[in-house]
Amino acid sequence: MEMTRKTFMQTLAGAAVTASLPKASRAAATRKTKMKLSASVYGYGSEIREGSMTFDSVVADIADMGAEGVELLGESNVPDYPNPSSEWVAHWFSLLDKHNLKPSGYDTFVDTMFYHNRNLTSGEAAELLEIDFKLAHRLGFRNLRQQWPPYKADDPADEINAPYVMSKMATETIMKALPLAEKYDVRMGIELHSPTHLKSKFIDSILDTIQKTGTKHLGFTPDFSSFVRRPPRNRIAALLKQGARQKIMDYIVSAYQNKVGPEKTVAEVKKMGGNDMELEYAGIAGIYHFSNNDPKDLAPLVPYCYHVHAKFYEITDDLQEYSIPYEEVLRVLDEGGYDQYLSSEYEGSREEYTTSAAIRAHHAMMRAILGMV
Amino acid sequence: MDMAQYNILDFGFKNFTKDGKTAGFQVLVKDSYYRGIYVPLIEGFEVTVDGEKFARDQIQCKFRDNLYSQDDLQNHPTERWQFNEPCTLIITKPGGLKPGFHDVGVVVSERISYMPTIPSRRTFKAKLALVM
Repeated sequence: MEMTRKTFMQTLAGAAVTASLPKASRAAATRKTKMKLSASVYGYGSEIREGSMTFDSVVADIADMGAEGVELLGESNVPDYPNPSSEWVAHWFSLLDKHNLKPSGYDTFVDTMFYHNRNLTSGEAAELLEIDFKLAHRLGFRNLRQQWPPYKADDPADEINAPYVMSKMATETIMKALPLAEKYDVRMGIELHSPTHLKSKFIDSILDTIQKTGTKHLGFTPDFSSFVRRPPRNRIAALLKQGARQKIMDYIVSAYQNKVGPEKTVAEVKKMGGNDMELEYAGIAGIYHFSNNDPKDLAPLVPYCYHVHAKFYEITDDLQEYSIPYEEVLRVLDEGGYDQYLSSEYEGSREEYTTSAAIRAHHAMMRAILGMV
Repeated sequence: MDMAQYNILDFGFKNFTKDGKTAGFQVLVKDSYYRGIYVPLIEGFEVTVDGEKFARDQIQCKFRDNLYSQDDLQNHPTERWQFNEPCTLIITKPGGLKPGFHDVGVVVSERISYMPTIPSRRTFKAKLALVM
């Protein structure tokens, strides 16, 4: 893991370099942030399924840690989705009121493979989105973390980046959904989740649509899974215990960091005599589930960001995210004038502590970076 | 590889009768996926008890009060398997299961459009006990 440690040190060194930046930039980096903290109920999914927490106790917990916003998934958190009772909706608003929270983001999905024998048409996909627009609006949400409709890529070579690909069907869906988003006054923030490449025709095409239409109802929701500089170590440790070999795992990590890509990495691991576990980790279901974008490449998109998924996997004891260069990403957002929510989305282990503890540590870290009291 | 114990429920595990005879058993299962889904996304449930595998047409599924054959799930685009709610699997087996412990396995296959592998297969296992 020498390589990754070196990269990490460069990150810290990079932070230290700020001190020597010209005055104007330093002021920008240290001025009072306008960003707000939120957490997604998503992270507490296991607690809710196991029964140790309820939706209501999760909302109370998010408020208790000092967050201002709460994010939810209609399909996971709203009873009788998509038609909750008016009693439940009143209860939701009373929860917000009681805990002094604001609705930060609402997550939508597009099940393009709804039927076993055909994809949804773009019209059907837009109709399903309208159901969520209506519900989000009813629950007081303005900002949607919207999944890019996962249709096949127009160019088969692009399929490696699926579902974040140029796709005529996906674009048609968004164009058909746009007047509906305006109608319900919700903003479709296309999620930039890994394996998104921020510098890509895919991103350019969405930017082009935003700029050509001049719409205020289409933008982006960056997810920090696309800034994974080194992969979470829990998974690697687990695989090493199960029979993966250090040398091969080291190779996979360095290939990822050198942006070798899943196809070539898998081919190389095959040559090295990789076993099934190592081969899987070398591909899109493994390490390339993450992407390693330069946070600077987010800068041109910040004016169109309405919501942010502050994804995290592990906060270390010294309050650093093990995998993601948080200082760099937050600086790009702050300097770009982003003034909405950073919504914690935990996808880490619960072996040592609860989801609540993980998110509290995450908020402590973000507060320290942003100088929030 | 979710083996968590809360997916296959103790509650509701029992034989049922039809025309006065024990005709099969039912078992309730909760999904481990993080959101509820429309039922056409379900490719199917596989059920195994003590190594005995049941055929697709022996297994029916009930969401709240609505009972469907597995092949019919495609035809109900507004029906949902709501998050954290059990689906009742009703398995035809003349004579039912014997009282006592059983090793129960359920595999659910779902088309999650954004996943690299379609369908997603979630495997649940539990040791349950049947009274009658």
